[in-house]
Amino acid sequence: MSMARLDLRSPVDTSGPTPAAGRPLLTARGLTVDMQLPGKKSVRIVDGLDFDIRAGERVALVGESGSGKSVTARALMRLDRKARLSGELTFDGVDLQRLSEREMNRYRGGTIGMVFQDPMSFLDPLMTIGDQVAETLRIRGVGRHQARRRALATLDELGVDRAAERLDSYPHEFSGGMRQRVVLAMAIVAEPKLLIADEPTTALDVRVQEQVLDVLDDVSRRRGLAVLFITHDLGVVAGFTDRVIVMYSGRIVEDAAVDDIFAAPQHPYTQGLIQAVPRIDRVSERLFAIPGAPPPIFARPEGCAFHPRCGQKFAPCALRQPALEPSGAGRVACHLYSSSER
Amino acid sequence: MLLSVEHLDKSYKTGRRSSTQVLHDISLSVNQGDALGLVGESGSGKSTIAKCMLRLIRPEQGRIVYDGIDVVNARGADFRRFRREVQMVFQDPYGSLNPRMSVGELIGEGLLVHKLAANAAARRERVAEMMQMVGLTPADMDRYPRSFSGGQRQRIAIARALVIGPRILVCDEPVAALDVSVQAQVINLLQDLQRQLNLAIVFVAHDLAVVRHLCESIVVLHKGRIVETGDRDAIFDAPQDAYTRALIAAVPTPDPQAARAHRARRRQSPATQA
Amino acid sequence: MAATSRPKATRALALSPLEGFVLALLLLLLAMVAAGPILAPDTVYTSDIVNALQPPSAEHWLGTDDQGRDVFWRVVVGARATLLSALLVVTLYSMIGVAVATIAAAGPRWLDETLMRITDLGMALPSMIVALGLAAALGASLQSAIIAMSLTGWPITARILRAVIRQTSEAQFVSGAQVLGVSKWRLMTRHVLPNSLDVLIVKWASDVSTTVLVLAGLSFIGVGAQPPSAEWGAMIAAGRSYVATAWWTVVAPGVAVAVTSIAFGLLGDIIQVRNDPSLREA
Repeated sequence: MSMARLDLRSPVDTSGPTPAAGRPLLTARGLTVDMQLPGKKSVRIVDGLDFDIRAGERVALVGESGSGKSVTARALMRLDRKARLSGELTFDGVDLQRLSEREMNRYRGGTIGMVFQDPMSFLDPLMTIGDQVAETLRIRGVGRHQARRRALATLDELGVDRAAERLDSYPHEFSGGMRQRVVLAMAIVAEPKLLIADEPTTALDVRVQEQVLDVLDDVSRRRGLAVLFITHDLGVVAGFTDRVIVMYSGRIVEDAAVDDIFAAPQHPYTQGLIQAVPRIDRVSERLFAIPGAPPPIFARPEGCAFHPRCGQKFAPCALRQPALEPSGAGRVACHLYSSSER
Repeated sequence: MLLSVEHLDKSYKTGRRSSTQVLHDISLSVNQGDALGLVGESGSGKSTIAKCMLRLIRPEQGRIVYDGIDVVNARGADFRRFRREVQMVFQDPYGSLNPRMSVGELIGEGLLVHKLAANAAARRERVAEMMQMVGLTPADMDRYPRSFSGGQRQRIAIARALVIGPRILVCDEPVAALDVSVQAQVINLLQDLQRQLNLAIVFVAHDLAVVRHLCESIVVLHKGRIVETGDRDAIFDAPQDAYTRALIAAVPTPDPQAARAHRARRRQSPATQA
Repeated sequence: MAATSRPKATRALALSPLEGFVLALLLLLLAMVAAGPILAPDTVYTSDIVNALQPPSAEHWLGTDDQGRDVFWRVVVGARATLLSALLVVTLYSMIGVAVATIAAAGPRWLDETLMRITDLGMALPSMIVALGLAAALGASLQSAIIAMSLTGWPITARILRAVIRQTSEAQFVSGAQVLGVSKWRLMTRHVLPNSLDVLIVKWASDVSTTVLVLAGLSFIGVGAQPPSAEWGAMIAAGRSYVATAWWTVVAPGVAVAVTSIAFGLLGDIIQVRNDPSLREA
């Protein structure tokens, strides 16, 4: 299968040292994404995000419909042509917004890998899995044999058994969990520093999900790979991440270490979310449900976007948007914790 | 016993001469007011059982009996009664409502089909009542499904199913496609309605935690076979079958320390991969 | 809990400049069909050899043809013959196609199979050949061309709709209606068909576009409308020998055919874009 051979010899660093954990890899300041919807009016989907992802860190981006989490993930790779970004977006010191499309393309798959929800729609049914995993390397100028060897090594690493024999098999011959591993292999074979995973386990059965997460955990620890895990499933978040960023209606409402956020969530939305999850390890008479529903993106409430559904709201909530401020070991955007409101 | 399924087999043709059997000898029963959970992963056959119960597909072998009626072969007045008393809520809130009918028409269709209201005005009244019961605003009766969110659409679907007064409600993964905060609302609604109307519920789901919350009796399915049955506490506190245990263990809990401990344990003793 | 508001309801009616232009063009064409013969002076049908083949002037905006008749008015009057015929043909065979597909879908298996095989046979007949055959049998005329095209156009419509019905029938809302106890008739008329006909609306517009060309073409080769009919194809045929000396006799009806065909093609595009589900979400 011939591909347009772009000369993108970006140095695929296999010998260099893994980046020091702790230094910020991806920095977003005031990141805003506007999109032109068919009705012609431009809509602000994501509004002023400030966050960092450190090398080797596993961060979860949690949110429901309308939170803007997927749009954010795609914006980090500048995948949506129709999206207009503003604010600051830096990766390893490089301003991603100033890169040309060609340069940005080098980042995609090379420095930043991405995995999506439905592996089947991501895989070309007419290409063998070996070729597809190797493709990421081939378009970077790696020779056929070496690319194939590295594809095999990555598939092995991800626990695809008998990978050597199955290199020339086609996607439809694999189960859902295996396909997700193939897609993962495609995303990490070029040794990226950051992996963005957009709901990679949502479509999978529980047991398969467990396996895929175990594999991902393994691989990311071994390689010092930073992971941005986008999901709405808090259970998955608890087992896999170091830090959790909660988004609501296009803004960050809480950002804290995973243990902290589950033990003592600060933002009323986070609290509601955690309480609303049915537990398999306990029986409750009635589930806690946050009343109402997330607001549509074109009709955000004034002030704090969550206030109409909040049981703890008070005077400033309907008037002013709370800023994301440090609180305890994390950050919260809520007037309850705002130093100026108390 | 309100509904019983006896020795159900179901196969699908996969080619000119081959077929796959998706259900093997399934037997279960539901009593009035019961909430039965059918759990399993994809391919377990749970949705197929639901569709057989509703006579959307025909089994190769076996019987389904609802209140004395042989469901598979029912005709005439018996069949009409079956259709009135056994209803279903589907999984996809975006595909389960006819986009070209208003919400009022959708909810009222059952009344029209079973001639349960004297005239259009009486129908509208009943529809308004039903909408309030499920937490919707009756004034929205003339709007179309596209104006509503996922959670609201499921409420519409529930109202549509309940307006004709069924005795059993089969729910095929009704909350799987909804946001977490909305899932809880719909689950609570189903629970309330079940009590209010003394409904029997058959809840098909892959989400064990939801099933634990809602159902007193559980049937665990794996690749078309019943692997274990029992009441809620028995299944969750003392699962007998290895598959059941694996399934329960794999459910992620929102407890970071427990989750990490789990993973460490799994690492030490690599479990059988499926 | 109330429904989310629909600010886009009114916005949906707003037309883009292209849409406005196409719509205006179509209205003009329809006006020609409706009022053309009424507004045109009687001289459209009478010969005035003395003034034959006059170039465009203030008196005859598009000149005169070989019989001295005003070309502009003949083009206007011709709209009724060409466009109205095309509309008639397409609407007629679309209805036949819908009927066949619906009966096949709603009826027993053997009927479905039989009708679909007949449809396959129908698809094998090229409209031109049938038109020629009918012209030979009934005499060449616009009517025989219309009959020929109506008889050969329905199979593709039937085919497409049958496939769409099959797909729509798999939808969850159809299962839901079945479970409710909805009768087969109501299932088809209230649930399946209304959600299956979308495709055909676009096809209708696009078919009118092609049929205008085909009808004019048939008249051009002498099998459809005959001169002195003011049908565009016939006009082009009549003006054929004068292309070099009196180009307006050919170009005027030719442009009319082209513009009408394009306008309906664009209409099809517009409907398709507006119907797109991705635009429908509130």
